[in-house]
Amino acid sequence: MADRRRINGPVGTTIPPIYDDASEKKSEGVKTTRSRPANVIRKMYLKTGVTPSASGSAYLEIESSGNGGSGLKLSCSVHGPRALPRSTPFSPHIILSTHVKFAPFATKQRRGYIRDPIERDLGTHLEAALRGSIIADRWPKSGVDIIISIVEGEQDRETSKAQGIEAWDTMNALSGCITVASAALADAGIDCVDTVAGGVAALVQDAGDDAAPSIVVDPIPSEHEKVLAACCIAYLPTRQEVTNLWFKGDLPASDMDLYSQLVEKGIQASKSANWVLVDCLNETVG
Amino acid sequence: MASSQHVLLSPAELAYLHASLSLTPPIRPDGRSLTQFRPLVAETGILPGTNGSARICFADGTEAIVGVKAEVERTRTGHDSPSLDDEGAEDDDDLDNQQDVVKGDNDWVEMTVEIPGYRDDDAGTVFLSAMLSEALLADGEFTKRLWINRRFHWKLYLDILLISPPLSYPLPLLSLTTHLALLATRLPRLKSEGDEDPLFDDDWAAAPYLYARPVQKGSKKTASAPTARPPVTLLVMAVGNNIIFDPSKEELAVADVALAVSVGEHTGFASSKSTEMDIDTEEIKGYHNLRLLSVRTIDPPSRLTPPGIPNASNSAYGANAGAKDTEKKKQQQEQARTAESEAVEGVWKSPRGGAKTLVMAALVQKVLEKGGVADEVLDALDGVDLN
Repeated sequence: MADRRRINGPVGTTIPPIYDDASEKKSEGVKTTRSRPANVIRKMYLKTGVTPSASGSAYLEIESSGNGGSGLKLSCSVHGPRALPRSTPFSPHIILSTHVKFAPFATKQRRGYIRDPIERDLGTHLEAALRGSIIADRWPKSGVDIIISIVEGEQDRETSKAQGIEAWDTMNALSGCITVASAALADAGIDCVDTVAGGVAALVQDAGDDAAPSIVVDPIPSEHEKVLAACCIAYLPTRQEVTNLWFKGDLPASDMDLYSQLVEKGIQASKSANWVLVDCLNETVG
Repeated sequence: MASSQHVLLSPAELAYLHASLSLTPPIRPDGRSLTQFRPLVAETGILPGTNGSARICFADGTEAIVGVKAEVERTRTGHDSPSLDDEGAEDDDDLDNQQDVVKGDNDWVEMTVEIPGYRDDDAGTVFLSAMLSEALLADGEFTKRLWINRRFHWKLYLDILLISPPLSYPLPLLSLTTHLALLATRLPRLKSEGDEDPLFDDDWAAAPYLYARPVQKGSKKTASAPTARPPVTLLVMAVGNNIIFDPSKEELAVADVALAVSVGEHTGFASSKSTEMDIDTEEIKGYHNLRLLSVRTIDPPSRLTPPGIPNASNSAYGANAGAKDTEKKKQQQEQARTAESEAVEGVWKSPRGGAKTLVMAALVQKVLEKGGVADEVLDALDGVDLN
């Protein structure tokens, strides 16, 4: 679908020139490796109340991988709860609408103004994750809009040439979206059963042929030779419940343990993110 | 189309349905057993203009067609790899080395889902198509099948059409139809060699299947030539302690949790691997060598259903009668608050919060277990005549 209402940039994609350093050439095979322990997530910065005009807002930044790449920067604003327009049929619950958008300049490949399927898909996942945490029947006949703009996507300047990495990056983006939206909902004063936070765990194959696959939390795909499977989890820690689970990859069905471990690690990552979330909210209150 | 389409059931009906589905053994509205699918009619090769096509019609009247079209496309080379068009510059050794590197790219498959009455950029439609393509591309093996040579590849267009109104969440239907269409897909036989411009055999009868199939002798299949097959996505839900497969719209409306689980099948590694592997394969003979490809939570429509009001807090039954002094009113408000959070038997309350991890794990386990539903479904699909 062409966007005819705005003056857009060139249709074709342009790839910025990348010059090979002579020093890099010789160490071509050597990639950056993960320096964190396998069960520690990256540092993140979370702040609520950044958009005064919205009823609730939050900003989340996840530190970059330190390879000339950029971290994840998300900004979320919540508008509502507000009355639905007269034309909408009666709803006994609050109507949630989620909107996730990458800024056109967020990734190496330019994104248009119209949301592409990946962004819409992220929106649906986010809606499922939040719907479980909101106490929806306290606001009949009302709606709330949750708008997330991804200001900067996770991207590694050197290594994202490699194909197939973007697919795994969307999971990291989703977990960030869930955490930031949860903070913004709390900021807006919308009743929730608990704060929901997102976490990612992945089964990765590190460089070296004989290395057995290992499970890491909060993976950066470019740091690993191959990502075999990953899962993103939205978790409510006090109720010990999962509101959204998204698993992708290729696992033998006979090995259910591996799957359970992956989910377990995803929950662990989500709990870690939740600490940051709770600390941030306590700070605002106190 | 969202899973959360409006279900016109009253709170009383929902409570009844939920209670009957949580019994042991549960009673489903249409009398099926827990793992039983709705009866269906399937056929393949219905569209002569496509490379492969299939149609499935469920007993509840939902029907889907899938057409697969393939086009030859020039492979775009990245800026980091040498241009392949000026072959004269490369020496033969180099060519030989790279010959067997079969690569695939996710851009080579384009999938569209069309649901009548819904926009193609509707969140639900996008979610369905993302789920189906995710399963197909999960292992990276599928796109390798589309590789012709280093300069050309097949571009596969998968068009999935629901031709009836969406009477139930169409995920299992669309997935099964896509599975059959891909099994029936044939690509013209390649006559050219190496990196030449591709030239194909005119004879359609000689066209090989995209998914090579076991050699058939009469009606009996030889188990010696196993093949991989496209993924199947199954819809599973849990109500109380029961795990229910292929839920209808009404059943989904009272689900505690719903999952879409994609499974694929990989075989054919046995010959190249060590003897240990052979023993393994013999052990699991008769079963499919399943792989878990993707799991997604489906937002259950039960969260959007209207809640019932227990008599205790219903003013029509005298809940607030006689509450004149403020003290009493306050007390009653508190009672109402506890009533909001506590379940009253026989009164429908839309589920709040998520699902326990153990329940989620049990759902996936139930799909994947040996001789389980996934095995059964794949066996049943084997019975469809692919012409």
